[in-house]
Amino acid sequence: MNALAERFSERGVGSIFLYTHEAHPGENYPHLTSREQKFRHARALRDTLGVMRPILVDALDGACHRAYSSMPNMSWIFTQSGVPVYKSDWTDPHSLENAVEYFLGVIERRRSGERLAPFRVERLDFRHQDQAAFYKGLERNGPKAVREFRAAFG
Amino acid sequence: MTDPDLLTRYNYDEFVPAKFGPWLNFAASPPLGGLAPDFPLWHLDGSETSLAAIWSHHTYTIVEFGSFT
Repeated sequence: MNALAERFSERGVGSIFLYTHEAHPGENYPHLTSREQKFRHARALRDTLGVMRPILVDALDGACHRAYSSMPNMSWIFTQSGVPVYKSDWTDPHSLENAVEYFLGVIERRRSGERLAPFRVERLDFRHQDQAAFYKGLERNGPKAVREFRAAFG
Repeated sequence: MTDPDLLTRYNYDEFVPAKFGPWLNFAASPPLGGLAPDFPLWHLDGSETSLAAIWSHHTYTIVEFGSFT
């Protein structure tokens, strides 16, 4: 996602990470109980996991996250006037790249005089699943996170 | 009216279906094409901004929601 954000930044596309709640709390990164802890975990996202996009922190009660459906790792694309044009219940750089290229193309088509009207579309996208990396992440959170995920999903 | 248990329920302490399941509400998310709801957000240095302030800076803005875990 860092590479995608960097590549599109040259074309007027911003990219941020919005810090929500701990999806898989463990001994090392337990559930959030204070605003200070939430900021500490958000800084670890930058310093330990290398998220280079601007990280914005939601309220401790997740007001923004909850209003947008509180999925653990969803992505949205907004226009400059605050209209959502893409939402995905999971984050996938290929899906986002495809969508952003399309929307940048819409701007070019309008500039060239084409008359365009919006319509709604649903599409099922596919993401790469890296189980080893996922479990490595759970282990980083702490053994409790691994145990609970295995108990929930086998 | 505030929910006194909201902080605890939202920041659940264990990944069990009874605790994380109720938060998975993508089908009820705001529709595309309308004005999106705005909320205050904070930079890592503690300074306040808003989602609207963020999206107003660029032609398009990608927002990834998530956390360390």
